Amino acid sequence: MNTIANEVQVQVRERSPLSIWRVLKNRWFLHAVSMIAFFAIWDYVAINRFLGSALARPYEVSLQLADMMVNPIAGKGLFGHIWASTQRILIGFAIGAVLATPLGLLMALNRYINAVVKPVFDLIKPMPPIAWISIAILWFGIGEPSKVFIIVIGTFVPCLLNAYNGVRLIEPQLYDVVRMLGGNRRDEILHVCFPAAFPAIFAGLQISLSAAWTCVLAAELVSARSGLGFITLLGMTLSRPALIVGGMVVIAIVAWLTTLLVTGLEKVLCPWKRELQTA
Amino acid sequence: MKTETEYKILCEHISKEFIQKGSQRVRVLDDISLNVKQNEFVVILGPGQSGKSTLLRIIAGLEIPTSGRATLDGREVSGPGPDRGLVFQSYMLFPWKTVIGNVELGPKLRGIGKKERREIAQHYIELVGLTGFEKHYPHQLSGGMKQRVGIARAYANNPKVMLLDEPFGQLDAQTRYFMEKETARIWETEKRTVLFVTNNIDEAIFLGDRIISLHGKLPGRMHQVYDVHLPRPREHTDMEFLKLRHDITEASELTL
Repeated sequence: MNTIANEVQVQVRERSPLSIWRVLKNRWFLHAVSMIAFFAIWDYVAINRFLGSALARPYEVSLQLADMMVNPIAGKGLFGHIWASTQRILIGFAIGAVLATPLGLLMALNRYINAVVKPVFDLIKPMPPIAWISIAILWFGIGEPSKVFIIVIGTFVPCLLNAYNGVRLIEPQLYDVVRMLGGNRRDEILHVCFPAAFPAIFAGLQISLSAAWTCVLAAELVSARSGLGFITLLGMTLSRPALIVGGMVVIAIVAWLTTLLVTGLEKVLCPWKRELQTA
Repeated sequence: MKTETEYKILCEHISKEFIQKGSQRVRVLDDISLNVKQNEFVVILGPGQSGKSTLLRIIAGLEIPTSGRATLDGREVSGPGPDRGLVFQSYMLFPWKTVIGNVELGPKLRGIGKKERREIAQHYIELVGLTGFEKHYPHQLSGGMKQRVGIARAYANNPKVMLLDEPFGQLDAQTRYFMEKETARIWETEKRTVLFVTNNIDEAIFLGDRIISLHGKLPGRMHQVYDVHLPRPREHTDMEFLKLRHDITEASELTL
């Protein structure tokens, strides 16, 4: 242990005494200032009707949300609508990720598969997933399948691209290590390709998830009887700004929570990255 | 006259050309012949861009020579394999494996059972002085410690020869000096045939039984061979050490 003592560094953080300057520069203090300012300006704009009657006050929005928990809209309470959207996302996201990630890995590992799949994929890649809505409704009707289909399309592209690039960008000398230690192609894939591509795959899942939220909202705006996109659309048709803004706030919160879920999964499955963040 | 098999590593008239963009041929090695005896510590000394890493990769089996051949124990090198342990300049540890996970990979790939390979890994972790860091991930280690893992990983496969490719090139001067002493200690403890590539004259004299210097420009050609008869452990301030250092510096400046 002694032999490496001179290579280990110890960090000591010194605390300066409390002063007004330190409070003003404190991160949490500045966070609070920015949040209060945001809501104050919002409230000010709403009260003075700079945007006509189209902006609800923050407290009206919270009243609206509280009301929805008790009084259902279109047969569903607030949580019913949240679940409707989340369910679509989870199904579409799962199907998209399960199809695209292995395909991306295969494309990166086998140049023949790559040569066959890549041209078709490159053709579909630049197309925004929302462009599929009309054809999806023609194929699957206005029910759940068409919405799930849009989400599958939306999650497919980023999942595939990230899995593919995750393998493509691996430091080639890592393969040399496996070869020198007596490994074969199978060992290279098992000990280098998969673990090295893991962080990229998770980055793909994160991007896919936000794409999935865009897709589900677009699909719900076009045709739906439930979901958070439906709530905001209803707010527009009924001219109730509180309902629109309330829907938007809930969308942001739920989307953020689902992102946390993927981040949490990554932390469990990539311990070497977790250590990197806490260290 | 010694026969082929008495040399551990034998390189005969190795030349290597790479084809660059526009089918332009670049010659990086020109007619290199050298040998390394059992348990000998041979240093290949040359400045950057002298083809020395390419030579090591040819012996490792990761590159194929354009002409000539490399043999290990009299058998021609035809590809990478666990009979040679390679230590990389940029460590090349697996970031997703812990220290012990990295060190035990070689035995694992050769199908050695969990209990036994743990023991092997533990032994070499101890040898390189990393006891207590088995569960650490590479990013939690300093550069010197990372390369200790790299050395332990190569040792753990019990290779016939150790090939080290500028292993301390990324370390600061002080850590580097310290790691050189450690390398000498490890080599004294567990003797192996070593081929060590470096661009550092002090490092070459401190470690080598024999120093093979290459010309400074491409293609890399043999320049001179120095036998180092200094007793071990060596001192950088020893008169003999300084004289040899002076000689090698003078001779190699002419080639730059």
